[in-house]
Amino acid sequence: MLIRQISVFLENEKGKFAEIARLLGNNGINMKAFTVSETQDFGIARIIVERDQIERAFNLIKANSYAVTMTHVVYLECAHKPGAMAEAMEKLSAAGISVEYMYAFADSSSEFSRVIIRPDNTELANQIIAEL
Amino acid sequence: MSRDQMRELQSEKLRKIVAHAYNNSPFYKKRFDEHGVHPDDIKSIDDIVKLPFTVKQDLRDNYPFGMMCVPMTDILRLHASSGTTGKPIVVGYTAKDLDNWADAVARCLSAYGLGSNDMVQIAYGYGLFTGGLGAHDGVTKIGGTVIPTSSGNTQKQLQLMQDFGATAVACTPSYALYMAEEIRKQGLDIKNFKLKVGIFGAEPWTEAMRKELEDKLQIRAFDIYGLTEISGPGVGGECECQNGTHLWEDLYYPEIIDPVTLQPVEPGQKGELVFTTLDKWGMPMIRYRTRDLTYLNYDKCECGRTAVRMGKILGRSDDMMIIRGVNVFPSQVESILLEFPEYEPYFLIEVDRVNNTDTFDIQVEVKPEFYTDRINELVRLRQRLTARIQSVIGIQPNIKIVQPGTIERSTGKAKRAIDHRKFE
Ligand SMILES: [Zn+2]
Repeated sequence: MLIRQISVFLENEKGKFAEIARLLGNNGINMKAFTVSETQDFGIARIIVERDQIERAFNLIKANSYAVTMTHVVYLECAHKPGAMAEAMEKLSAAGISVEYMYAFADSSSEFSRVIIRPDNTELANQIIAEL
Repeated sequence: MSRDQMRELQSEKLRKIVAHAYNNSPFYKKRFDEHGVHPDDIKSIDDIVKLPFTVKQDLRDNYPFGMMCVPMTDILRLHASSGTTGKPIVVGYTAKDLDNWADAVARCLSAYGLGSNDMVQIAYGYGLFTGGLGAHDGVTKIGGTVIPTSSGNTQKQLQLMQDFGATAVACTPSYALYMAEEIRKQGLDIKNFKLKVGIFGAEPWTEAMRKELEDKLQIRAFDIYGLTEISGPGVGGECECQNGTHLWEDLYYPEIIDPVTLQPVEPGQKGELVFTTLDKWGMPMIRYRTRDLTYLNYDKCECGRTAVRMGKILGRSDDMMIIRGVNVFPSQVESILLEFPEYEPYFLIEVDRVNNTDTFDIQVEVKPEFYTDRINELVRLRQRLTARIQSVIGIQPNIKIVQPGTIERSTGKAKRAIDHRKFE
């Protein structure tokens, strides 16, 4: 399934991500998942929120002078069993898709691991994941 | 005129004006004596390098009439430019000076293709500022018709421009853009105007502005260069080739010097522009340092003129910093940023000294549409800018991409460099 992800550019100063988290929190928006990638000089936070809150989250962050983008990423529910993730990745690889980055988040109430994948070919990757 | 004939003429004029300045101005006599040079030492134009420089502060120190070299009864006009700090700069013109100045402007107008059949709307300010009256006298000199609207009252400007059928307009390029915008807003059709030439100067402008003005006003847009201390507008102008500003060097002799060593640079190299007025008698300027950075091209122009061409003004020598022993101008960073569509044209340079080494940080902003969730793309974009600056300036900067809106936007006086180094 394709879902939308918010990415925020962060100057590499301590507390910048906290500012974003506080901004969303104060406005009743819950981060379902996030990851922060950093270089020596700057970072990018990628955030998943509830679907009906994403527009509001995006506008809120933008209005506070952050550089923010919205991109489609592939959402995968991966069964809690050995080899399930390997199978998914092998299929993507066989189709010539390379993954720019990915991150997972757990939900104890569920029998799945939830994985966010940012492939170079989003449409194709989504098809393959759907056929798993 | 061949370059040899020009040098001959310049040599003769230089000898006369240097003697005039020395004999009639206590300021120049003192300055020459201190420098150990006498008018007899000046035999040809090459000897100009023996003469001392004049700077803006000299004009302020001698406010109002201390730089005049003729009795005030021979001064027919005064102009003044108000600096942002200190006293104004005052200049005085004899009858001959006014005639030479009008002649210089007339040469520019001819180079733009204007003549006695043209009607020129002068929307430069009339008054102490040299723009209005300078352009006015030039148009009169070529026998053209002057529409002396001065600046402001845009609605009236546009009405007269259309009703009278002005074929040229003289103003600052930013005011011309404003007029173009007003034409659009008021629903006027540019086809009902007869404009064919724009005479733009008194502030720096870019090729992008030229294109926009030419498209919107259906004209050819030409640069007119000048500065109050040297005469006013018309020290030089572009020709139909729009490939450099021809300087009228029989009247205003240009040199390029290294702003640090004050020595002349090799022909074609960049440095600070210096002018000597060869035929200005009321208030001659000997080796006046303009602080403008540019370069000179002595090749014959495709238009047939041999008059030397000046390149774009690249910045001000006042802004120069020496970082790790290398001369760095903020304007260099600006022109590099303009090469990258991904970056905003705003920046802030910060220089400091850590462990006896100069740091060279540059804050830049990426345009909102070029942000991405892919960190590698930003890393590559940053590396490309780093490499480009290193290759142009010669030292490696530390590029810091900052959040949108962080860098001060106001143009002109915006602080573009901060030097934190302490020199004891
Ligand atoms: Zn030419």
